[in-house]
Amino acid sequence: MSLTFLLRRGGLMVYTLAVVSLVVFGITQVLPADAAVMMLGENATPEALAAVRERLGLDQPVIVQYGRWLAGVLRGDFGFSLRTGQKVAPVMLEALGRSLLLAALSIGLMLLIAVPLGIVAAVRRGRLADLVVSLMSYVGVSLPEFVTATLAVLLLADWLQLLPATGYVPPTEDPVRGLKHLVLPVLTVSVILVAHVSRMVRSELVDVLHADYIRAARLKGLDARTVLFKHALRNALLPAITIVALDVGYLLGGIIVVEEIFALPGVGRQLIVAIQNRDLPAIQAGALIMAATYSAVNFLADIAYAALDKRIQYE
Amino acid sequence: MTPVLEIRGYTLDYALPKGAFRALDDVSLAIARGEVLGLVGESGSGKTSLAWAVMRHLPMNAREAGGAIRLAGDDLRGRSEAEMESIRGRRVGMVFQDPSTSLNPTLTLGEQLAEVLVRHRGLTRRQAWEEGTSMLGHVGLKLPAEMMRRYPHEASGGEKQRVVIATAFACQPELILFDEPTTALDVITARQILDLFARLQQETAVASLYISHDLAVVGGVACRVAVIHRGRIVEEGEVRRVFAAPRDDYTRRLIAAVPRPDRRLASPAPADEAAPPVVEAQAITVEYGRPSLLADLLGRRRRFVAARDLDLAVRPGEILGVVGESGSGKSTLAKALTGLNRFAGEIRFAGRRLTGARDMDRLYRRDVQIVFQHPDSSLNPRQRVAEILSRPLKLYGAAAAREIPGRVAELLEQVRLPADFARRYPHQLSGGEKQRVAIARAFASHPKLVICDEVTSSLDVSVQAAVIELLLDLQRRYGTAYLFITHDLNLIRQIAHRIAVMHRGELVELSTVDEIAHGPKHAYTRALIDAVPAPVG
Repeated sequence: MSLTFLLRRGGLMVYTLAVVSLVVFGITQVLPADAAVMMLGENATPEALAAVRERLGLDQPVIVQYGRWLAGVLRGDFGFSLRTGQKVAPVMLEALGRSLLLAALSIGLMLLIAVPLGIVAAVRRGRLADLVVSLMSYVGVSLPEFVTATLAVLLLADWLQLLPATGYVPPTEDPVRGLKHLVLPVLTVSVILVAHVSRMVRSELVDVLHADYIRAARLKGLDARTVLFKHALRNALLPAITIVALDVGYLLGGIIVVEEIFALPGVGRQLIVAIQNRDLPAIQAGALIMAATYSAVNFLADIAYAALDKRIQYE
Repeated sequence: MTPVLEIRGYTLDYALPKGAFRALDDVSLAIARGEVLGLVGESGSGKTSLAWAVMRHLPMNAREAGGAIRLAGDDLRGRSEAEMESIRGRRVGMVFQDPSTSLNPTLTLGEQLAEVLVRHRGLTRRQAWEEGTSMLGHVGLKLPAEMMRRYPHEASGGEKQRVVIATAFACQPELILFDEPTTALDVITARQILDLFARLQQETAVASLYISHDLAVVGGVACRVAVIHRGRIVEEGEVRRVFAAPRDDYTRRLIAAVPRPDRRLASPAPADEAAPPVVEAQAITVEYGRPSLLADLLGRRRRFVAARDLDLAVRPGEILGVVGESGSGKSTLAKALTGLNRFAGEIRFAGRRLTGARDMDRLYRRDVQIVFQHPDSSLNPRQRVAEILSRPLKLYGAAAAREIPGRVAELLEQVRLPADFARRYPHQLSGGEKQRVAIARAFASHPKLVICDEVTSSLDVSVQAAVIELLLDLQRRYGTAYLFITHDLNLIRQIAHRIAVMHRGELVELSTVDEIAHGPKHAYTRALIDAVPAPVG
């Protein structure tokens, strides 16, 4: 992996985010919301509205407004919430932390379940175990998360009374209660990811197990276990890195829904509240933060892939 | 003395949806210590199935219908999978066809060699690594310690095959199976691997089963040869005897099909040397790799020159051979001449100068046609043969609409295919038949020059012979010139009038066949000719 590759890949990420910032800013411009009216209410006098517009710079040309906003963003300042009057950035970053915790736990759980499932299905291809895993995957993929979430709540919270149905307690304050609140959201998010990734691991592994070098390894007298874990798995899991990174895109969307269902105050929930209240600075911040997260994860995935697969030489 | 490998009356079926397919039929052979038995056959003859059977590594649908496979007296068919695991790699080694696919891309070469020593000889990893390093030195790799740390993609094909061979010999096995070990390699590299094989064979006195489709190679390495055809051993005997006086009919046909430089197939070169060339390439240079903006900014431009300053004129009606190793620029030249590549320099055609694909109008395309190596990818799988052949007829206005079915039938007849093939799809044809369709398509517009880019490389030797005969027949009939690109030096010496030798993108020699036969001018040409195994018999 060369410095050129890192620079190019990094440059691409900056470019993507610049375009996203334009789009996000553009959308908030065409939304039928007037920040001044939002702040002062429907009955404000025209003079008062004009004064606020001048103070917020809303009377300036759009390009100047974009420049000011972008300059703020680069300093980590997303402006003030129209709803609460507080700075947007700290609130969003705190929410992002909660969402990342949810995402990280979900991906972790997913890998713990999906990879072994995929391996079993590939090794026992065409037999009962393969069929069961495939069936489970199809069910998992086809159920939308609000259905999975509802089923999970009904079973684990309502009937069995094992877990709280909604809400959030920071794990730093009370680890036990905090984790209990996270179980249902994490389960819900993982189910679909497990279904997707286990199928992928299975098909990659099936391909690799047919490769010449796997046959060569068997014919060197290596036992089936060594061949599977040392020779096959590594090559089968490499493409999974890219897929998992792409799944983060789904994860961010799915998390919005899941956070809303379980009343978990993550970045998705903040974004929904912002949209409902036409809180433009908060919408901009939420959207941009999500895009940045997605870009960063894919950047890291590419680097990890290049580091693990020595053949990859992105120029 | 008990032979190292003894196969008696071995029969193998594959269970297919259509019913059982007999892959091996009552096969018997034996190899003694220190002996090399060549097993020769065309694709689908069952030669590789025999190797899997010996290794006890058969596909799920294989059904063994009888016979014995004995390694130094004990029948391998009775061995459990666990027992076989300790026999494979320790008592029986194997060398595979393509070193670039038989080595794991994500493990170092050293790891893949050392793991065998750890597994079978009980060495520690450190001991195995040391032992492996000295083995790599022994198989002729310079800098063995460095080679141990490299990944497969960091080594050349020849280097990788040396590692595979070192691995096969690592545990001093009694028997080694070689499955086409030089087929995927370039001529000169293959020669070096064959020399290495001969040396190790001498040193270790291992029993070897050498599987190949190439009679010339087998003639050079084996003591005895067995010819396999449709799962049956049709002839077996001492190499010289089999090649000089084959008893079986199939063996005779196979040997007759092998290209021999001393047996000319083409008619003499067209007398008129002063005739203006059909197509003339002038200072053609092709570079690959697009310059990236960042590389430019950093002041680093790396472009790969695939062809440099090629001058070449094809005379009317002549067969101009182009030979060279893979990556020498042969196909690059073909692509430039057909406008599939950007190139610098110019092509002269019918008094005009062409500098790129844009200048190649319908007139040029009609006169310069190409046939590619793989008919599978050059024939559209969704079109019937009739459609494939009628397109050039319509495009070049060679026939009125109502004449087209008749012309398609004529074209098929020309390439000796039955007229009802017009209704078939490419996948319903064999490899040789598909290539005939591709040839018919090229000839549809009555071209003056047909570029043949390795057209017989993926065909079996007997099919190759038939396709070559067809091409020569068409050439005599229509006076078409060929630019015949191949890596097979024996073949090109049979059919070409002049031969262009390419090496690393440059044209190092352009001589008549006689000149090449009586002493090539360039050292590389000489090395190439020396490396080619001579046909035996």
